Amino acid sequence: AASAISSLVTDNSSKPLDSTFQQTSGGQLGPYKAALFNVPNCASPPKLADVGDVNKVSDVLKQYLFRVGDDGTCLYDPNFLAVCNPPLAPDTTYRFKYVLLDSTEGIMKDQTLWSDPIKTRKVKLPLKIDTWPGRRSGDMIVITSILSVLVFLLLAGFLASVSSAVMGSEDSSAETRSVSQTTQQSEPRPQLSSE
Amino acid sequence: MAKSDDTCILQGPLVFGNVVIGMCGIALTAECIFFVSDPHGLYPLLEATENDDIYAAAWIGIFVGFALFALSILGIVGVIKSNRTLLLVYIILMLITYAFEMASCITAATHRDFLTPNLFLKQMLERYQKSETVNNNDKWMTEGVTKTWDKLMLQNQCCGVHGPSDWQEYMSAFRITHSDADFPWPHNCCVMDAQGSPVNLDGCKLGVPGYYNSNGCYDAISGPMNTHAWGVAWFGFAILCWTFCVLFGTMFYWSRIEY
Repeated sequence: AASAISSLVTDNSSKPLDSTFQQTSGGQLGPYKAALFNVPNCASPPKLADVGDVNKVSDVLKQYLFRVGDDGTCLYDPNFLAVCNPPLAPDTTYRFKYVLLDSTEGIMKDQTLWSDPIKTRKVKLPLKIDTWPGRRSGDMIVITSILSVLVFLLLAGFLASVSSAVMGSEDSSAETRSVSQTTQQSEPRPQLSSE
Repeated sequence: MAKSDDTCILQGPLVFGNVVIGMCGIALTAECIFFVSDPHGLYPLLEATENDDIYAAAWIGIFVGFALFALSILGIVGVIKSNRTLLLVYIILMLITYAFEMASCITAATHRDFLTPNLFLKQMLERYQKSETVNNNDKWMTEGVTKTWDKLMLQNQCCGVHGPSDWQEYMSAFRITHSDADFPWPHNCCVMDAQGSPVNLDGCKLGVPGYYNSNGCYDAISGPMNTHAWGVAWFGFAILCWTFCVLFGTMFYWSRIEY
């Protein structure tokens, strides 16, 4: 189907075609006219290097750049009378050319070749972004493992000291019980002798 | 209560150990209060990812630091008086505090790993200037993310997470309401003049060097967050290593005190 579309921009008498964006369905049915501007002043043009200068950048951009798809509102504005240059579609291949017109006679004087095909971007969905962090960092592994070992050692030490304290107190309470029994046995004898 | 020679020698180091724990506790509290106060204003980004556990770790750090300070005083009193009850209470409460601080360190270290560039990229694309919010929670998070990103881009002269191309490569909530022709990237990515408006809007939209911010904001986000997470995790780890030695010595001291 692509080869059947005419890529001519003029009719038989070299008059340029006036097809608009809407008429050609955005360029699908044939070439459309995106803009019309005067031949720029080549006698003393602004220097390209001046693009860094804040005061001169507007002039430089106007002289050297034409932006296809610059006007986002002309398609929806019923009063718009000039040439409409609406934004291009995504994920589509386009070609461009410049045409030189004689405005008094209204015929084409010269034209460039069609440019190489340029494909517009296809946007990726943010849903598809993979947020999985991957491997654990070394820092986290060191901290977790060493702290786990330390806590284990602390708990073991705590149990050991508590159990040694409990067993120590059992020994000491057994000693005090046997001491009290011997003192009770020795007491009654002095009473018998006095009577 | 009789003391053997073992315990006399241990008293000095244990008191010193507890003094250090007390000072470190105060330092930990101060550090964690600083982090929780969010001086860089990045909390809304974490809140919207629903992964703000490095802040939970800092909150635990505040209370643990204060507990360490209080317990160190108890420990000093218990060691000097060689009181078995006081020291037993000290050991048990210290073990509990130890467990909490361990949780804080591990949480901070683990959750830092989740804060990858892709996480912030996805969140920025899905929430920045999102126009139709479903409920109040969604609205709150969207406003937080939008304000934070606007401030980030203006203050750090950056754009997007990796660069302005993020806005071109991916579909976004911003793109739904702002056409590609007028806003290839948000206007906050443009170099601003003193009044806060772009120096040259066409230059910014066309990507002319010097009129837009070409570097990404990831460094400005990850720098403070790394400081926060590593500050909580590693300082806490250092305190816990020191506390381990002091606690072990205290348990040994306690078991050697005779009734």
